[in-house]
Amino acid sequence: MSWLPLSFGVPIVLWGLLALPVIWWLLRLTPPKPQTEVFPPLKILARVLKREETPHQSPWWLTLLRLLMAALVVTALAEPVFNPREKLPAEGSALALVIDNDWASAADWSKRVATAQRLIADASSNGVPVVIAFTAEKPNAEIGPFDAATALDRLRAAKPRPIPTDRPAIYARVAAALERLPGASVAVLADGLAAQGDEAAFNTLLSKNAARLVWATSDRLSLTGLTVADNQVDGFALTAIRAPNDPAPAQVTAGAFDDKGRRIADATLTFSPGESTATGTMAVPFELRNDFASIALDGEHQAGAVRVLDESSKRRRVGLLSQAEADQAQPLLSPLYYIRRALQPFADLVEPSSVDLADAIPQLLDQKPAMIVMADVGTIPEQVKQRLVDWVDKGGTLVRFAGSRLAAAGNDDDLLPVRLRTGERSMGGALSWTTPQPVTEFPKSGPFADLAPPAEVTVTRQVLAEPTPDIVERTWATLADGTPLVTGLKKGKGTLVLFHVTPEATWSNLPISGSFVEMLRRIVQLSRNQGAAIANAEAAATSLAPYRMIAADGELVPPTPDARPLVPGAGPLPVTFENPPGLYGSETGVFAHNLLEADSTFALLDRPQISLPVTTVQYAFDESRNLKGALVAAALVLMVLDTLAVFWMGGLLARRPRRAAATTAAAVLIALGALLGHADLARADDAKPGDAQAIEDIAKTRIAYVLTGEPGVDSISRAGLEGLTRFLIEKTALEPGAPAGVDIAKDELSFYPLIYWPIDPAAPMPSQAAIARVDAYMQQGGTVLFDTRDQFANGIGADSTSPATERLRDILGDLNVPPLEPVPSDHVLTKSFFILPEFPGRFAGSPLWVEASLDASNTENRPVRVGDGVSPILITANDFAGAWAVDENGDPLLPTVPADPMQRIYALRAGVNIMMYMLTGNYKSDQVHVPVLLERLGQ
Amino acid sequence: MARIGEVQAPVATRDALARGRLRASLVPDLLVEARRIVNTVIAGWHGRRKRGIGENFWQFRPYVEGDSSRIDWRRSARDDHTYVRDREWEAAHTVWLWADPSPSMLYKSAGASVSKESRALVLALAMAELLSRSGERIAWPGLSDPFTARNGAERIAAHLAHAAALPAKPDLSSIRRFCDIVIVSDFLDPVEDTMAWLDVLARHGVRAHLIEVADPAEETFPYAGRTEFTDPETGDKLTAGRAEMLGEDYRLLYTARRQELAGWCKRLGWSFTVNHTDRLASEALVRIHMAMTAESGYAGKISA
Repeated sequence: MSWLPLSFGVPIVLWGLLALPVIWWLLRLTPPKPQTEVFPPLKILARVLKREETPHQSPWWLTLLRLLMAALVVTALAEPVFNPREKLPAEGSALALVIDNDWASAADWSKRVATAQRLIADASSNGVPVVIAFTAEKPNAEIGPFDAATALDRLRAAKPRPIPTDRPAIYARVAAALERLPGASVAVLADGLAAQGDEAAFNTLLSKNAARLVWATSDRLSLTGLTVADNQVDGFALTAIRAPNDPAPAQVTAGAFDDKGRRIADATLTFSPGESTATGTMAVPFELRNDFASIALDGEHQAGAVRVLDESSKRRRVGLLSQAEADQAQPLLSPLYYIRRALQPFADLVEPSSVDLADAIPQLLDQKPAMIVMADVGTIPEQVKQRLVDWVDKGGTLVRFAGSRLAAAGNDDDLLPVRLRTGERSMGGALSWTTPQPVTEFPKSGPFADLAPPAEVTVTRQVLAEPTPDIVERTWATLADGTPLVTGLKKGKGTLVLFHVTPEATWSNLPISGSFVEMLRRIVQLSRNQGAAIANAEAAATSLAPYRMIAADGELVPPTPDARPLVPGAGPLPVTFENPPGLYGSETGVFAHNLLEADSTFALLDRPQISLPVTTVQYAFDESRNLKGALVAAALVLMVLDTLAVFWMGGLLARRPRRAAATTAAAVLIALGALLGHADLARADDAKPGDAQAIEDIAKTRIAYVLTGEPGVDSISRAGLEGLTRFLIEKTALEPGAPAGVDIAKDELSFYPLIYWPIDPAAPMPSQAAIARVDAYMQQGGTVLFDTRDQFANGIGADSTSPATERLRDILGDLNVPPLEPVPSDHVLTKSFFILPEFPGRFAGSPLWVEASLDASNTENRPVRVGDGVSPILITANDFAGAWAVDENGDPLLPTVPADPMQRIYALRAGVNIMMYMLTGNYKSDQVHVPVLLERLGQ
Repeated sequence: MARIGEVQAPVATRDALARGRLRASLVPDLLVEARRIVNTVIAGWHGRRKRGIGENFWQFRPYVEGDSSRIDWRRSARDDHTYVRDREWEAAHTVWLWADPSPSMLYKSAGASVSKESRALVLALAMAELLSRSGERIAWPGLSDPFTARNGAERIAAHLAHAAALPAKPDLSSIRRFCDIVIVSDFLDPVEDTMAWLDVLARHGVRAHLIEVADPAEETFPYAGRTEFTDPETGDKLTAGRAEMLGEDYRLLYTARRQELAGWCKRLGWSFTVNHTDRLASEALVRIHMAMTAESGYAGKISA
């Protein structure tokens, strides 16, 4: 089986394949020899038998299927393994695993773990203890010896660290551990990078007690590291290194990320053939460069390919200097105000704590600013002047603004770009302008050449430069009359810039223009930081807490518990277990601690030259796969196929096609029916009995009356509401449907805006539940019009009550009745359609009781009383229905008392008003204010 | 399980000589048996007993207006009536006999006493004996022309014994009107084939008497288990996995075939008789005798 990466756990079982011919012979056997019978009516029988004919021999493909099944089972029993892994030599009394888990191992860490797992598995099968040590762990980490399971656990728990190896310390510990286990196999899983002290470390490890060396390396060291990331004038300079054993030309892409991990720039670095160093520049705008928080090489998931950046490569520090007293009350007149506002977004502003120039200038220079802005500083003290000049010579940018002090101070050849005439020029003086001078186009030679000229800027005063031959070269901006506004001079590596106006808006309005910001910004871009600044002296002396760490896979992560504060000192800061690479400090200021130094190179680690037997293995995953399950599954599938085939050949599937089809059709029908039935049910669930009635009830507005159970009363109620309905249709826009008689105990009440309830003492008292329903109806906005119809039935005397009133009292006793009052003359009921002073029915004289308004007194003499909502209850004794009642011809049914035709009309109007009140609520009460409102609007 | 059916004579030796020899040895026995059977039937067989063309006086009958018969004036002179002399019908009737010689007829099941061929020959020769004795002309299609002889059965048997290969289905077109034909077979061919073969008889107005010789095993299908069935005629084989499962369907078809054939015979006025080989041959003989004597009223009735 050398041609196949296949091996068998129990190869002897494969002899079982020899049984295949026997199986074949068995399978070829026909079913039991049939009884032979002579049968003359064979033609008749043939018509019956045709489909059940059994072949004499199983077809060849079925035999093949079965043979294949048998072969699969036999092969599966032999426990085949695909891609069998080589046995790693692990003889000896113990196995010492020394694994490099430094940053260089991060990229293929899982392969290393897989290799180590195989070694441990072999040790486990040999029953030897395992010493497992990691070279980038704490020196005091436990290393064993362990049994195989524990070693495996420790291996799984281990992870690559973003730090270099510490081979001497760890190897010494392993050697010490092996003293008790002589003759051990030592497996070195190296990362391939040489480090200092490797030779001695290997000697310590292998000189004694080691019986065999297993040397595992990558086939090729394909590391790329980023050693330099320097923010220069025109871009970020990057340098990448790679292992020297990789001569092929290569390209790597570096990406720059901001502090939120967003990629904001790219650069390509190209390794020439044979070169192990590549450089490149990330040419992106200055502002973008300042946002760089880290730079990483694409595709390199290890800490060496990432560099974090700190302040030293970022925003310019700008020192601000002024001699004017800071007047907090007038900040707009402070000379530094506009400069601060202009510079703050893209520069770090540094201001001295002292106002004394002799102290302030050294303070500023200690901060190593990129630029110093002096607002109207005249004379610079001699003792600090030389330092300032030196600073400018070394690359500092000094920006000065004119002012009365500067004008008075006279010339300063070292720190001014041009010679100045003494005194300033202002409008109205001897050398004056007649009008304020605007700024012209910026000279093409100056740094402002591509800025738009500030047309709105005018200058009323300025200091003048002595005309010299080179004045034009030094002029960065001029006024319309050709006098320079801004002059600049390269001095040494630095720059001197003079604004011939004040930094506040007294001499010109330049400081309050947008061009001012643009110009300052352009100057800041020209400047360069003069070295890294330590945020403050105290912090420099102490330590910086870990802030953002570079993980082994190159990601920026929060600090690990093992990280300790970094103590920046004078000497080089080694990357150790306690001080992993990353950013130290806090949000306000960070210090970048990177893994690779600028001069780092990758050196290859050679296998130590020793006399021990050596086995070299490659890092690789264990790709062996046990095929037993797959083969058994395949055999099972074949068995199912075989069964189906036998069924098919036996005619079971096609025996009774019609019946099968019928069955299928029936099943489909049943399923369909079930589906449809479900759909039907789903619809049916929604429906409730009485839906049609409910829809009919609410399709039109209908007035309801309570079925009292007394036929006479109910028919009058119906006729009355019919009459009212006709009247409504005739007189108003409302066209109600036919009146609805409701049984308050059963029917849904909420469909009706008004329920007319004639109280009849002869009618049975409604049940508590029914009254509770009426109560709920009233609470939810319905209105019940109680009509006792007993205006003239009351007895003589104040407290005499009719039976109907008694019944009404009984009913109301169970209802939540609000306070009532007779309809006041300014109630909206009196105006909702007709103007009505009273509400007669068949009888006249009884008041109509409604819910009492809260502010019953109408103080403001409004035409109608204010009120929200609709009274849930109306009570009358006038027998409205009797007055409204009409027969089919529209003729009144009952005479009014007294027999006044107008009273019936008034009764109907009362009904109209009540219905309008029901349906429009307080709209009418608001509507009466419309003329007043229109008048107020002036129409 | 013992075999239910067997082929009485080996089917493989189909050569004419062997068959002839076998038949020759068989026929005398059949003759004896045929005579024995005929003796039990002969009692009811006495001439024509009806008027017709003949020599012997049969009756005088009154002359009817329009009667084409010649008036017998001698008798008429005796009294006032006019008489006609009828003679007994003595014209010899021709009855063709044919027994199916096909190999399927050689079948005999365990429950049957004789093979179908044996039964068929017995029936045919018995008919020949019967008819010869009553002076009818008998014939065997494809073998002999009609003849009248006292020893008609012997002559038929001799013809059969000396015959070369007999056709499976003789040509029946030479049989003329007013003849009878007795066909003894198992009628296992498809009904349509049988009908097409016999159709010429119907067109010629021949009265046919079909005797289906059936083996009980063919009718009841007592087979069970895995069985390979062989057709003795064609040699075709069929294997049934579970023969008992087929019984119902088979019986249905078998009976339907018989019913269809019987119905066809009844429509034509023919008789159709079924004789099982486990029953007596005389049963069929009696019935066919009745069918031949009873004009046409008996035709088509199936009897066992």
